Amino acid sequence: MARSTFLGPAVTLALVAAVGVALPVLTQDSYHLDVATTVAMNLLLTMSLRLQLNTGQVNMAHISFMGIAAYASALAVTRLGLSFWIALPLAPLVAAAFAVPIGLVALRLSGPYYFLVTFAFSEVVRLVFNNFFVGLLGGASGLVDIPAPSPLLGLTFTDKPSQYWLMLMLFLLGAVVLVRLDYSRFGLLSGAIRQSELLAATLGVGVLRVKLTAFVIGAVWAGVAGAFFAHSHHVLHSSDFGLEPMVLLVAYTVIGGVGSVWGPIVGTILLTFTSEMLRELRAYETLVYGLVLILTMLFVPDGLVSIPGRLRRAWQRRRAGRADAMGVGVAA
Amino acid sequence: MTLNVLVQALLNGFGLAMAYVLVALGLTLIFSILEIINFAHGEFYMFGAFVTYLAFTQVKAPFVLALLAAIVVVGLAGGVAERLVFRHLRGKTLNAFIVSLGLLWVMQAVAQIIFGIQDKSVPSAFSGVLRLGGVFISIERFAVIVCATLLIVALYAFLEWTRVGRAMRAAAQDADGAALQGVNIELISALGFALGCALAGASGALLAPVLSVSPWMGALPVVKAFIIIILGGMGSLPGAVLGGLILGVVEGVGTLFFSSAAVNMLGFLMVIAILVLRPRGLVGGA
Repeated sequence: MARSTFLGPAVTLALVAAVGVALPVLTQDSYHLDVATTVAMNLLLTMSLRLQLNTGQVNMAHISFMGIAAYASALAVTRLGLSFWIALPLAPLVAAAFAVPIGLVALRLSGPYYFLVTFAFSEVVRLVFNNFFVGLLGGASGLVDIPAPSPLLGLTFTDKPSQYWLMLMLFLLGAVVLVRLDYSRFGLLSGAIRQSELLAATLGVGVLRVKLTAFVIGAVWAGVAGAFFAHSHHVLHSSDFGLEPMVLLVAYTVIGGVGSVWGPIVGTILLTFTSEMLRELRAYETLVYGLVLILTMLFVPDGLVSIPGRLRRAWQRRRAGRADAMGVGVAA
Repeated sequence: MTLNVLVQALLNGFGLAMAYVLVALGLTLIFSILEIINFAHGEFYMFGAFVTYLAFTQVKAPFVLALLAAIVVVGLAGGVAERLVFRHLRGKTLNAFIVSLGLLWVMQAVAQIIFGIQDKSVPSAFSGVLRLGGVFISIERFAVIVCATLLIVALYAFLEWTRVGRAMRAAAQDADGAALQGVNIELISALGFALGCALAGASGALLAPVLSVSPWMGALPVVKAFIIIILGGMGSLPGAVLGGLILGVVEGVGTLFFSSAAVNMLGFLMVIAILVLRPRGLVGGA
């Protein structure tokens, strides 16, 4: 039984990994690798956002935890002189340390009040990055001169291909954990809460505990993305963690589909390709994103990954309908 | 610090706060009727400012006509948005919220494609400075306060004493109950959404000469409006007015003591505190 449950996702994950590994063999173009690195980083963010959306909560402060870890990692390396390889696991823990109290406060609310309180938290965090502790955080001109990851076991991480490999490994690690989580009891409980929070609670699901777990695990993986972001971009601005990139993450995740662990993967990859193609036409890029988001919510609210299942069901209904009609014909 | 400084600071804070109250009233009206958090509400405000820019600076219409044009055009746009999109998402708060993020992008992109990214400036409709005792206020800002107040009174009268206004309040209290009493909920939703957007458009029109007009100008007022309606209680119209006054006082007086970033932060901290401790807002009830 366990084997049959895990075989499908394991094969899919292996396919995703194979594409990721094959990419640098197919193209050495640094622009392509740059886009692929960003996709892998965004995937970590959208998959961990989806973990929370799966409990029915849009955490508008998700990107703030990426920011907290990015600043934490940058400061650990530049101020405390720690190695990147110590900062990398440390920074997500810092994000988690902020996530526990913030989650405990925010998750007391639900629905619209939850979006608004998390949005308020994200603005507080952004204002801190931009205007407070300027000597430490760099203020509006940003936190600059963040070094690339230091060499490890003879490997260097200063050029695009090596950074791609690093990010790919981080993404795959996160993907394995998040997919495994989705196929666990925890995943089932999350889905139950999304479908009916009240019913789940009456059946003895510890709703707050599940939501808080999703919130903190989400913050940890957003934190991993943040630590990588700090040391591959070398400069951090508060606007990197503001409303605009946050909405983009929501769009990626929701267009792909919240109900499936593969939704954010489909959404992120597809939309990144679209946006790279529309890059020359700046305003039209936003226009297309906005329209796709609206049309998806209206016509396929469960996201693009739900389309095959819908088509299959429609096909089965048609066949069933035809068989019925034939049966009636014979009887008459 | 003299009393004059304090009064001056309060007046400065109120000028913008009253215009934001209009945005907030529209937002809270839409929330109360459709249970929708419209994050694109600031874009209707921006749209109102652009209509005013076209009518006042390009067509050279009198300012009052430009203001009316903004109210009508933005109201119609809101009605269209409700018919095409939001009507199908009534009560689905999560989906409607995400759709409003999409609408925000669409409206910003359209404004950018039509008007470009350069800020537009709208000349003042009123010039001169008013002196009240020891404090000064530009007639322009004074006019914003007066117009906003008149519009708030008109909205109150409309909701209180007209059939449609009563139907809107009924739909906000209990949509099913109202429908059973013969209220056409579909029509009232569309009208409520249109009215909410028209209020945002009016605010954009009033502030167009005070601030610069750009596709991104809606980002700030919508955030202020959210702060205002959370302070007053989401869905409560008197609460929105009270919330606006509180925000005006806090921002006006706050800037005397703190940096503007700290004052902005204070707004968000108040929101968090209210949502956690008293989610129904300061006024409470519906």
